[in-house]
Amino acid sequence: MSRRNGRTKQRLTGPWSRREWLRAVGGTTLGASMSGWMHSLADDTAEHPDRKRACILLWMTGGPSQLDTFDPKPGHENGGEFKPIDTSVPGMQISEHLPQLAAHGGEMALLRSMSTGESDHTRATHFVRTGHVPQGPIRYPTMGSLVSKELADPSAELPNFVSISPYRFLSPAAYGPGFLGPQYAPMVVGDERAAAGAAMDDYEASLRVENLELPDGVELKQAEARLGLLQELEARFRSERPDVPVRSHRTAYESAVRMMRSEAVSAFRLEEEPDELRDAYGRNRFGQGCLLARRLVERGVPFVEVSLNGQGGAGWDTHQDNFERVRQLSETLDPGWATLMQDLKSRGMLDSTLIIWAGEFGRTPKINNMTGRDHFAEGWSTVLAGGGIRGGQVVGKTSDDGMKVLERPVKVADFLATICQALGIDTDVQNMSNVGRPIRIVEPEAEPITEVLA
Amino acid sequence: MRSHRSQLSKAGPWVVLLAVIGSAATADDSTAVHDPAFQLAGTIDEQIAARWKLETVTPAPRSDDAEFMRRTYLNIIGRIPSVSEARDFLSDSAPDKRARLLDELLESPAYIAHFATVWRTLLVPEARGNLQARAFVPSFENWLHERLSDNASFDQITRELLTGSLQPPSVGSELDNLLPSPLAFYQAKEFKPENLASGASRLLLGVRLECAQCHDHPFAKWRREEFWQFAAFFAGVRRTDARRDNQPQPVDQNAEFLNELAIPDADQTVQASFLDGSAPDWDTGRTTREVFADWLTGADNPYFSRAAVNRIWAHFMVTGLVDPVDDFDESNPPSHPELLDELAAQFAAQGYDVKLLIRAIVLSQTYQLSSRQTDESQSDRRLFARMTVKGLTPEQLFDSLAQATGYYEGVTSRNQFFVRNDTPRARFRELFGGQSDDLAEAQRSILQALALMNGEFVTTATSLENSEALAAIIDAPFYNTSARIEALYLAALSRVPTSNELDRLVDYVDSGRAQADNRQALSDVLWALLNSSEFLLNH
Repeated sequence: MSRRNGRTKQRLTGPWSRREWLRAVGGTTLGASMSGWMHSLADDTAEHPDRKRACILLWMTGGPSQLDTFDPKPGHENGGEFKPIDTSVPGMQISEHLPQLAAHGGEMALLRSMSTGESDHTRATHFVRTGHVPQGPIRYPTMGSLVSKELADPSAELPNFVSISPYRFLSPAAYGPGFLGPQYAPMVVGDERAAAGAAMDDYEASLRVENLELPDGVELKQAEARLGLLQELEARFRSERPDVPVRSHRTAYESAVRMMRSEAVSAFRLEEEPDELRDAYGRNRFGQGCLLARRLVERGVPFVEVSLNGQGGAGWDTHQDNFERVRQLSETLDPGWATLMQDLKSRGMLDSTLIIWAGEFGRTPKINNMTGRDHFAEGWSTVLAGGGIRGGQVVGKTSDDGMKVLERPVKVADFLATICQALGIDTDVQNMSNVGRPIRIVEPEAEPITEVLA
Repeated sequence: MRSHRSQLSKAGPWVVLLAVIGSAATADDSTAVHDPAFQLAGTIDEQIAARWKLETVTPAPRSDDAEFMRRTYLNIIGRIPSVSEARDFLSDSAPDKRARLLDELLESPAYIAHFATVWRTLLVPEARGNLQARAFVPSFENWLHERLSDNASFDQITRELLTGSLQPPSVGSELDNLLPSPLAFYQAKEFKPENLASGASRLLLGVRLECAQCHDHPFAKWRREEFWQFAAFFAGVRRTDARRDNQPQPVDQNAEFLNELAIPDADQTVQASFLDGSAPDWDTGRTTREVFADWLTGADNPYFSRAAVNRIWAHFMVTGLVDPVDDFDESNPPSHPELLDELAAQFAAQGYDVKLLIRAIVLSQTYQLSSRQTDESQSDRRLFARMTVKGLTPEQLFDSLAQATGYYEGVTSRNQFFVRNDTPRARFRELFGGQSDDLAEAQRSILQALALMNGEFVTTATSLENSEALAAIIDAPFYNTSARIEALYLAALSRVPTSNELDRLVDYVDSGRAQADNRQALSDVLWALLNSSEFLLNH
């Protein structure tokens, strides 16, 4: 059980409370010990041949500078203060401040020629995350909703789409399920209210599921009694009204209670992990968020996104003091992401887990007079790694000064099509929008980057 | 300006013959037969019943008073009744009480506030997901508020929307962005002719043009060229760098007379022409947008009155006569074409008086049917044989929760400038917003369920220590358990419990418990009521 403000919080499950609950309602007992069962479940999930692919999106809020991460330009003044280092792949160089990632070069495909044209935060965030610029009344779903809908397991105890520490302020519509409806909304953990203003190392408090635990002052017995009462009260109303909202209410409550009672919710108990591993990920919201992502994917969640927001929320938006800030962000990014990949690999999960690294745009190669870089969408970088991806390669090329894409420009639709293919999703699947127009997951003109697909 | 509606007669019951439901008498509501709203209600019932006969449909029974009351409060003023309002209505024995309640609600300021929000949600839907659009919402709602308070007719409001000044109003203070103005309609659509045209078409005419923006519409008859001819009415609205430029633009008188537009990515410039293909008379000296507004609200336009009537109908009856409400098309005919025509004709003839239309709908027996399904034939929403259950908007949900739990908001919480806001209202808005426009398809999410079960708001409201409203009920010295349970039901569900429910709950609260536990058991009852679908939905 977790402790908050010195008081023990009641949970609907947990080693002793679950036993008490089982006794109260006369359910069956579990044979094996809790932790033993969990471990074998995790193994099972990881190695099962039918295991569908999962996806982890590492979202860099604010627009990460490509020249200072994955597309260094050492020969030009635009390259700035950082030096490049070699990766495990000959000829592929990245920023000196991402040394752990450098060892994973063979698993990563760097896309250096993103060319997307939108350089306003709200529009660009929406564009990259939904595949569309915000347009009239159509409420486009975010990538996580689209993907998790296709990969979802309807009987799962955990929600199919979890968003960790999103900073939604600049583009709220880009983080929601849009016309797919609330049942495809992400479960948000550690949202911006928790993130903004809180210290980066205050990760414990923020990486919880809001309202998953019983409130202070409500004992388990009372909670169960209330739920029983609710069931009774619902019965008559429900029986006489077969409408969609009534059915949906029932399903949501059943799923919520199932989640409250489930063992899968143990995913959020990061304290179960060894200290050394937690240290390796980095004791901060992003690092622990990556660890949480691994645990969620392990328990069958098909889409998890982890946002790296830095201190101000849109941390990568480095109009000023670019190098100092990117260095600090890199020192968080590098161990988090690299450990994630290593951890997935050692559990046999990397081959079935696609990892995406992206922001809404890149940054100007020319350094401004505040030692900063401004918005730049003409030629920037994203990275794909893991499941469905043939790593160890670079796609596309920008000019020596970074100002232009020379080879293989990649549009948003191409990027999303590639992601879908890597996950084994049919891009022609259509969903009905809120204006009665069916809309494909990715538009048909999109060209996936076949070179990076395994 | 506005025709005065005759006051409903309060002098004893009138027996009114309506050829509906096999029974000719409605002895409960007294009415004045020459009241146009009442006559229109009669027309509604006749037409709806004719279809039932055709399809051998057995309608649901009439709603009981509690059902009618709660539903109508929510639809007109956006919240459930208070305990005393509920007690008053339920104990009133006047036969015309439903009609009087309707009129009271329509005359209350809360109607204006609610409908300002309803129309704003409709006209500026971008505000939901777009931060910049949200900033313009307060002034838009204030403008609607003002017009509704003036009793402006629907066509007047529409005209002003379409021809309003593009200069942000200013008195040179920080409060400028609250000054009433329809400018948000333009701002949210980024001043782009294509967005304005498709928005105006869908919202005000019920015609979806979006597909035709990029290609010839596959099903309907709109071609790409026609779309841009329509968009050309807003040619003068386009500004460069509209998004980045928060400064008022110098007024360009000529812009308002522009009526030609270049189709993007095509070597073609088109001149503005109406959806029906007819060409405007450009020699009247009126601005392009005025020409557009004249046509749109003109008596010759078959769409305007029908689209408006359809939306107001759908607000109360859940399903439009044309469904979806923004898709008037040959391939999507109305369920009751003569009824739609008659309502549209009357709406126009009576000067686009929204209240009249609302009264006609709410006075009808069709509206007053229960939402209980008692026969399989009631399952087709488009036959209106029972009231369909629909979700609540986030505003209705929060306002009802606040009402039920005695939550008092500070003035600033109600502040519409909800760009960044940690208030309970804002949290609810975020958690419960984003629904599909069709509230009959409203979905409940796991996060919403968790928030309602374990979240701070409901926990406080059901906490013995922290909820004054709950304490008042629980500790009222002259109440026994029965009376307390009844009070909880009235607060949350706006009705009294059935005898079965009462027996069960008295048993739950009283038996086998220490006196102290009774109080906790009562808070359990309130908790369950607030988490029930009966509370969280509009039925």
